[in-house]
Amino acid sequence: MTIPPGTAGWIVRRAVLALAVVAGVATLTFVLIHLAPGDPIYVLAGDGGSPSYYADMRAKYGLDRPLLDQFIRYVRAVTRADFGYSFMFQAPVSRVLAQHAPASLLLGFTALILATVAGFLVGLATGARPNGVLDVAVRALSSVAYSAPVFWTGQMFILLLAVKLGLLPAGGLTSARVDLRGVRHIADVARHLVLPAITLALPFLAVVARVTHAAVADALHEPFVLAAKARGLSRTRIVMRHVATLAAVPLVALVGEHAASVVAGAALTEALFGWPGLGYLVLHASLHRDYPLVTATFVVISASVVLFNAATDVACAYLDPRITLS
Amino acid sequence: MPRACLVVIAALTLAGCGRGSTARADSVTLVVALNGDPGALNPAVTTSGNTHPVTDQIFNGLVGLDESLSPVPELARSWSLEDEGRTYRFALRPDVTWHDGTPFTAADVKFTFEEALLKYHSRTRAALQDLVERIETPDDHTVVFRLRRAYSPLLQRLDVVEASIIPKHVYAGQDLLAGEATRHPIGTGPFRFLSYAPADRVVLERNPTYFRKGLPGVDRLVFRIVPTAGTAVAALEKGEIDYVGGVAGPEVDRLRKTPGIAVVSGTGGSGGSVCEDVLIPNLARHPLDDIRVRRAIAMAIDRQFIVDRVYFGQGRPATGPISHLLAWAYSPDVRQYPHDTAAAIHLLDEAGLKPGRGGERLALTFTHAQTAQRLGQALREQLKTVGITLNLQAVDFNAAVDQVFVKKTFDLGMASFCNGADPDIGVRRIYVSSNIGPFPFSNGAGYRNRRVDALFDEASQFQDREDRRSRYVEIQKILAEDVPYFWLIDSEGLRAYRTAFTGFRLWTGAFVETVRPASATR
Repeated sequence: MTIPPGTAGWIVRRAVLALAVVAGVATLTFVLIHLAPGDPIYVLAGDGGSPSYYADMRAKYGLDRPLLDQFIRYVRAVTRADFGYSFMFQAPVSRVLAQHAPASLLLGFTALILATVAGFLVGLATGARPNGVLDVAVRALSSVAYSAPVFWTGQMFILLLAVKLGLLPAGGLTSARVDLRGVRHIADVARHLVLPAITLALPFLAVVARVTHAAVADALHEPFVLAAKARGLSRTRIVMRHVATLAAVPLVALVGEHAASVVAGAALTEALFGWPGLGYLVLHASLHRDYPLVTATFVVISASVVLFNAATDVACAYLDPRITLS
Repeated sequence: MPRACLVVIAALTLAGCGRGSTARADSVTLVVALNGDPGALNPAVTTSGNTHPVTDQIFNGLVGLDESLSPVPELARSWSLEDEGRTYRFALRPDVTWHDGTPFTAADVKFTFEEALLKYHSRTRAALQDLVERIETPDDHTVVFRLRRAYSPLLQRLDVVEASIIPKHVYAGQDLLAGEATRHPIGTGPFRFLSYAPADRVVLERNPTYFRKGLPGVDRLVFRIVPTAGTAVAALEKGEIDYVGGVAGPEVDRLRKTPGIAVVSGTGGSGGSVCEDVLIPNLARHPLDDIRVRRAIAMAIDRQFIVDRVYFGQGRPATGPISHLLAWAYSPDVRQYPHDTAAAIHLLDEAGLKPGRGGERLALTFTHAQTAQRLGQALREQLKTVGITLNLQAVDFNAAVDQVFVKKTFDLGMASFCNGADPDIGVRRIYVSSNIGPFPFSNGAGYRNRRVDALFDEASQFQDREDRRSRYVEIQKILAEDVPYFWLIDSEGLRAYRTAFTGFRLWTGAFVETVRPASATR
């Protein structure tokens, strides 16, 4: 494959932009979390202490220095790939992030794949017969799925599918009572993954279904569809063979655009299901004013958004010859 | 993307394979819900309510606390007071070993206090740093605390929550806050540490050489981290979790009707014991500095309604600054403020707060954590009936603490003050003028009364409980007259557990030590 001219310039521009975005997010997060009312030292050090104790602890963690000084020290450390020390975990931030990232990636990507595949199939089915019974029912359901808060849908799933029917676990990554290995461990993780993944996937699934539905409905009026009809091909065959390919193109951009938010925006779902990922981490760290951990988590999340966007641009340029990276 | 997924599943699988030992098929596992990560597992340097529920099962204190919160032997088998209450001599158990097999000695106690508790444990340092003159270890099994003055509540401060004893041979020369030993704690307690997967679980196993023979009654103790209270309750109903340390009000009725689950009130534990929920007026602001206005507010509040509708019956209306659960010190014989809107209006009139346009006499802002939203709404409706407009300012917990206790930019705040095992531990700090702050859970109202200060000092020095009680009774009388805070409810947090287990000790940090399967015969 030959690299089109102008690609190198695009990569450089994109890299500079990415660095600027991440630096901007880091600065903004640092400033905002430090300006938020509340002092991490009380969470860190505990209640009922004496003024001298809190002063000692502030000095120990460098929280007694002016904000600008703290920021300069932070930036210097980050350039050495040192994201600092988590107050909450009493461990290097990079280690804490590494401990939480796998669960987030697993949940996020599962939800993303689920939403994309299921949403696409639903969109195809309903788009092929607009205003049919299935279409009307799915449209109503997708409005609910899109607008209902994940906190509510998740709780409904827990009460119905976990507590009432006992089909799936109510939360967590694995069963607490047993210590499983190998394939049984994977199966256990997969069972625990079902409810949070569906909960997280539902709003995006609704979007994918609607976009696919619209693309299919448009494509059905294209001349080549009429030609296929005239050749006597069945509707199913037309949709599966010709329309589906066309409807898939806008999905690439859509998935790319939403991927980062699905993967990184799972805070509520993770908190609800006790899923040990980055979303839970950022929520917990914000409430505890764990400055280094909050800042680093946002840096990681913003970097992943930038990466996803760049990957989407590349994928779109690859799929659609009219788009060039230059 | 499927490839990425496989990689992640593989990573999780590996993590799973590396986790601890496999439980035997016939072993008994107790699963306890924990609402946040414990972080570093050194109990001698933190008061964290997420750390202590875990570490209180791994470590011991010199003393334990019985159901009436009186001291009972633990690492110390006995003690005696000398020198008119200024010297405490502890005889340590000779049969205690650390989880790594090293014998426990007096040197561990001295090290724990001098290097950890008196430096880093916020409450213990604040209370004892200036009090303890020196700690002596005449032999391996004797520890002597020499105090600068007589101090009778010392023993209540020496349980596993306030003063866990850590091993000198493990921690000496290490960073006590973040060293490697804080990730692999070694204690003397009923359970040994096995593994900790952040945001997921902490796994402990039975200590087979525990000095209390026959305990603990379960083989494996798993703390599952479940940040959402509703999910923890759902997991309890489903049998995935056996014990939940807090039940949200709306869940209580449903859980009570669920077979196989017991809902009981607990008054203590690692997060604090014998708590009172209290409204804090900013006495530096007018007209809250006017006693008539405070008395009017106290009478405008319908505590019973708040107990029934806001707390779903989890507690009873408070009558004063000491919870009725601290029975020996509590006195109901103080000025009372029954719900009486006519009397409240009369007092506001007297204070010169006449109704303006729309009947408003006074507007106050109630700064509270989001968790107290329901309380705020109830108070707003109740105060409206006497012409007080209550504006609700809901912020996150940290921000509320900051505004009320540190910056003091508030009219009305709120806190759950835990009295602890002795009024000197959790009551004194709220009322003495030397503790006005600015730091959390201090005297947030800014109340000053020299007589009250002196009485608290006297009460801490008498050895005889009746002498102490007389001081606390007088303190309660004065405070009820002055009403520097609005005491709402003596709370009794509900705990829920599966009745397949029995023996939870709901008043202490070491609540699992005596738990055993309900079917087990002893």
